[in-house]
Amino acid sequence: MILSVDLGADVPIYQQIRDQIVEAIAHGSLTDGSALPPTRTLAADFGINFHTVNKAYDLLRQEGLIRLSRGTGAVVTAPATDQLPADWTARARTLLAEAVARGLPADEVLRACRTLLDSFGATQQEGTP
Amino acid sequence: MIISVILGLVLLGLVLLLALVLPSVTSGTVPFGVRIPAQYAADPVVAAQSRLYRRRVLLCGGIVAVAGVASVAVTGQPLLLPLSVLVLVGTWYGCFFLAHQEIRAAKLAGGWFQGLHQGIAVDTELRTNPPRFPWLWLAPAVAVTLATAAIGIMMYPSMPQNLAVHYGANGVPNRIEVKSVGSAFSLVFLQLGLTALLGGIAAAVVRSRPDLDPARPLGSSRWARHYMSLGAKALLGLVAMIDLGLMGSSLLMWTGTVSRWAPLVIVIPVLASVAATIAVLARNNRDRGSNGEDTGLTHRDDDKFWRGGVIYINREDPALVVPRRFGIGWTLNFGDPRAAMLLAGVVALIGLVIALRFAS
Repeated sequence: MILSVDLGADVPIYQQIRDQIVEAIAHGSLTDGSALPPTRTLAADFGINFHTVNKAYDLLRQEGLIRLSRGTGAVVTAPATDQLPADWTARARTLLAEAVARGLPADEVLRACRTLLDSFGATQQEGTP
Repeated sequence: MIISVILGLVLLGLVLLLALVLPSVTSGTVPFGVRIPAQYAADPVVAAQSRLYRRRVLLCGGIVAVAGVASVAVTGQPLLLPLSVLVLVGTWYGCFFLAHQEIRAAKLAGGWFQGLHQGIAVDTELRTNPPRFPWLWLAPAVAVTLATAAIGIMMYPSMPQNLAVHYGANGVPNRIEVKSVGSAFSLVFLQLGLTALLGGIAAAVVRSRPDLDPARPLGSSRWARHYMSLGAKALLGLVAMIDLGLMGSSLLMWTGTVSRWAPLVIVIPVLASVAATIAVLARNNRDRGSNGEDTGLTHRDDDKFWRGGVIYINREDPALVVPRRFGIGWTLNFGDPRAAMLLAGVVALIGLVIALRFAS
């Protein structure tokens, strides 16, 4: 999996790394049990401070998307759940409020959401046994 | 003496050839150690500096060769010619630095990085599924070392009581030692040390950090995987040839053979394999897997970490081994304390060898 960070972007580097790993899980290129490079190795490959990668991994761990252990390093643990986490609902709410505030029609917003969901779901179904 | 002069000139020629070829095989986004965006790779300033650099290197090479041969002819000291190689390397760096400064000045004056998105790309698969260490390529070096040791053990009883352990530039032995396990097998120990050292470096190369192009990370990752594997194989091939040369030298020592051609037994396999290694790596160094992809990112402008365009010092970077900025292969991050310790170790080892040499 390719991870790219834009050094001039407003989004912090740890957030960019976290977002790309989440997207890779959604796309199915990272599945339950997939290994991620150890924190120090990934930091060395990026040529950035170890704490930046540690922060990204820590966010993913708190969200239950990876588990960290001394023996196996970082491993994806995409949880199968039908309950939406509270923080996700809050972030989705902000994004949808932004769409409404910009005057986008509701069916246009729903269609965009459906297209994005399909792009993840279709790949994941193909990748999952 | 003639052989020493010829060997010195061959070495001088190889270094000169390397100096002339390296700018062509180095990545187009780091001409003379200056990081530039891909769209400026063919800028007139870069092209003009490349031409000037080649002319300067050729001129310096010619002057150094003539001065080297003249000094040998006047003093009769064949060792002056290998020393002139060091002078050539110094002038080579001078030519490099002049081009480096001019391109850097043009980059800063023209604001070449303004408005571009600088980024870094990493392929996690290179860590979770790294290129395999080419164990099969280690086999020839190990086999030659073991064969040398086995032949030595068989020949030991019939070896002369006094062994020539060092030859002068004219091929005549200049150091004789009484037969012992230490003196008879000194080159076998050297074979073992070199095989372990270069094998270790090859393992580090396979796991080193690749320099991925953020504009086309997939293509450059594929290239990096191939290049790292090739680099490891080239190093293992090189150590096999060095071991072969040492095997030949051991046989000369063990049979008491004295020949003016003796230095060639070690020099020819080593020079040939160094030349082949450089050729293989250089041929694969320029085209870094372009496949039409473009993420909109460009390399980050990291010139401030490269002192003089060649020495990498970045305390924030946890990597110890990084791709070389100019030329082929890898270098150390001297901002990492481990690099300083490694350097101190090498200096101490050289000091120890020199001290032992003078003591004996």
